[in-house]
Amino acid sequence: MVSAVAFIGSDKVAAANRRGDLLIWNLLSTGDKSPEPARRLVGHTGPINRLLCSPDGKTLISAGNDRAVRFWDALASDGNPGTIVMNDGYRFVGVTEKVAKLPDPPPPVTAKVVEQKPIREFAGHKEWIWGLALSRDGKTLVTGDDSKLVILSDAQKGTEQRRWKVKQWVRALDISPDGKVVVTAEQLPHLSEKEAENGLRGWDAQTGEMKFDASKGLSGGVTTVRFSDDGKYLAFCVGSIDRDGPAGKVFLLNPTTGEKARELTPAHVRGATDLAFHPDGKHLFTCGRDRVVKAWQLSDGAQVHEISLSLQDKGKQGPFTPTLHAVSIAPDGKLLAVADAEGRVVICSLAAK
Amino acid sequence: MNRNIRAGACNSGHHLSRRSLMRGLLTTAGGYAVANWGALTHSQTIAAEAKRSGKRCIMLYMGGGASQIDTFDMKPGRPTGGEFRPVQTKVTGIQVCEYLPNVARHADKLGIIRSMRTKTPDHGPGGYYMHTGYNPGERFPHPEAGAMIAKYCENPDSDLPSFVKIGGQSGIYGSGYLGPRYEPFVVEEDGRVPNFVNPSVGTEVQERRGELLDFMEQRFAEERKGEPFAAHRTAELRTVRLMRARQAFNVSAEWEKAKERYGDNKFGRGCFTALKLVEAGVSFVEVAHGNHDTHMDNFPISKALYSTMDPAWGSLLDDLTQRGLLKDTLVVWTSEFGRTPAINVRAGRDHFGRAWTTVLAGGGIKGGQHYGSSDRDGFEVADNPVGEADFIATIYKSMGVNHRAKHFLGSRPIWATPEGSKPIEQLLG
Repeated sequence: MVSAVAFIGSDKVAAANRRGDLLIWNLLSTGDKSPEPARRLVGHTGPINRLLCSPDGKTLISAGNDRAVRFWDALASDGNPGTIVMNDGYRFVGVTEKVAKLPDPPPPVTAKVVEQKPIREFAGHKEWIWGLALSRDGKTLVTGDDSKLVILSDAQKGTEQRRWKVKQWVRALDISPDGKVVVTAEQLPHLSEKEAENGLRGWDAQTGEMKFDASKGLSGGVTTVRFSDDGKYLAFCVGSIDRDGPAGKVFLLNPTTGEKARELTPAHVRGATDLAFHPDGKHLFTCGRDRVVKAWQLSDGAQVHEISLSLQDKGKQGPFTPTLHAVSIAPDGKLLAVADAEGRVVICSLAAK
Repeated sequence: MNRNIRAGACNSGHHLSRRSLMRGLLTTAGGYAVANWGALTHSQTIAAEAKRSGKRCIMLYMGGGASQIDTFDMKPGRPTGGEFRPVQTKVTGIQVCEYLPNVARHADKLGIIRSMRTKTPDHGPGGYYMHTGYNPGERFPHPEAGAMIAKYCENPDSDLPSFVKIGGQSGIYGSGYLGPRYEPFVVEEDGRVPNFVNPSVGTEVQERRGELLDFMEQRFAEERKGEPFAAHRTAELRTVRLMRARQAFNVSAEWEKAKERYGDNKFGRGCFTALKLVEAGVSFVEVAHGNHDTHMDNFPISKALYSTMDPAWGSLLDDLTQRGLLKDTLVVWTSEFGRTPAINVRAGRDHFGRAWTTVLAGGGIKGGQHYGSSDRDGFEVADNPVGEADFIATIYKSMGVNHRAKHFLGSRPIWATPEGSKPIEQLLG
């Protein structure tokens, strides 16, 4: 299942899965044909949770359950030749109690790729990393993990600058455009809403002291929190655990105080999983467990567009719907990429929307 | 007639719905008449057969179905292996999940059954099977293991109940044909007793009321010999005795010192209360740890579940060992079934009974070994399949209870475990 996605410039997209595979595709300029991956980035040994590209488009950064943050040359094209199988692994077969064994895998679909290694690694974490953000000037990396630890480090040198503990496991984070505030989405995940401990807190990036606590009244676990590039908005969405009904709420906060400014409605069904601000500074895009991508107008909070990626297979509808895990928008604002649990990356054109 | 079956944690609409914890509480408080149970309890033969072994049992029940592949039957490097890493224990050949470090310390005490093969993937029936060893479709209710063990291992002079359930999430299946005397006493998830146990009036008033009630009921009973009245009277007397003994459930003072080790949460406190209860002589205590029904987001949720399960279970084994209680106290870790080897598109694992894992420790179990195995991806039992009845029979034999003990429901014979059930001799000391 594809768990993370990030554009590299406006003509390449990187995507990662929960097996530690990280691939890069060169996007075709025209036509609907699905391109084959061009590069495989080799190094992760477990699920990759987060992926981002530096503002200058030169460095790709990934982090996941193997406790490592890895830096990759986003533009290099050389490396060792390799072959990957695009369709191995066990497919979803429902409640498999009644299945004696899994169906035989389909014939392998292979692709020739160039294999590349990371240019460096940051090994300051000892637990699963779900928080990954880069300051807008590309100089400061912020990471957070399941041991409730947040680390600020120099993104170029890889040296740690400071660390502090937050209240719960870090599920997502971001640093404000002025570099002064780190916002953490925190959760001890649990099937029972009563038992889950959800948090959303702002921290002074210089001291690690809490500046605000926006946890009160959270209706579920926050999956993503993100400042707009101009610093005017702080958006977050809810849906870290699949819940019945319109559980995927999306909110805009006052970026200084953490007070709720607006709830964007209608919510995603079963949970919202990721969000991205459009480079035009006027729109926000979210995706969810309902296989819908929503476009919101920041000025009034109105939903202005919706892209449904619903599946025809009835066995994959309702509560068994494969989730859309992550969304990324190209720097030129023309393309949007979605990480799909169906094992694919979906590229949508925003040019006419 | 499984009146007290409760479902696990599945979403409503897909599985059986939950039933109220109050049902168990009321059952305990008021008692109820099971068809023909009176004939059974009047059996002098059965009464004479009862042997008090002095053994105790703590069952840690993972409501919803805990994953075998993510805990004790890991498949590293296989597509079904999932997101956790195995760690080697001090016992060669036994690897456990990296997030079970406290249980891993006790690997030399664990008898790990990796070849459970059970009959149903549904919570309610699965829970009944794993508590009784019998098919829930049968016409009359069988007693759950806790009731059977209470019958054969209880101290009849104790004011404490012989069968306690801490938290109702594991299901309340009842004492069945053994009668209300062995119904579970259900307390809160953290081990606290329900409010009805706390008297609303002072001791002197209680005594006066008791004397008056006794006088009236004696007169009433002299004229009415019916069993429902006897059942009611039995439950009432046990409630009065329990009110005297309720302080055994109050672990607040000691908990302050223990909570850092056990984990300051309901399950941690529940396990500590279970320790104190078996120490006080309670025969069977079941502690529920719910919400293992991870159809989605299995890995972060399971990791969080293990963060409360592991320190409590590990500390319980520590304390039982240090107090010299482990050799006579069987600690059981089980669920109604396991979870699928395949990981679904919601990063979840579904219900699975074809090849899963339970764990026994203490109580005469030969630790440091696993029994049976699953195939390389975990889809089938590779050798030594163990059914529900075999599992219950193993528990009974470990407790000194004849797993084929014959009881009578009226004139009909019933055995503690079904015909053909076999204890796992390899695990028994």
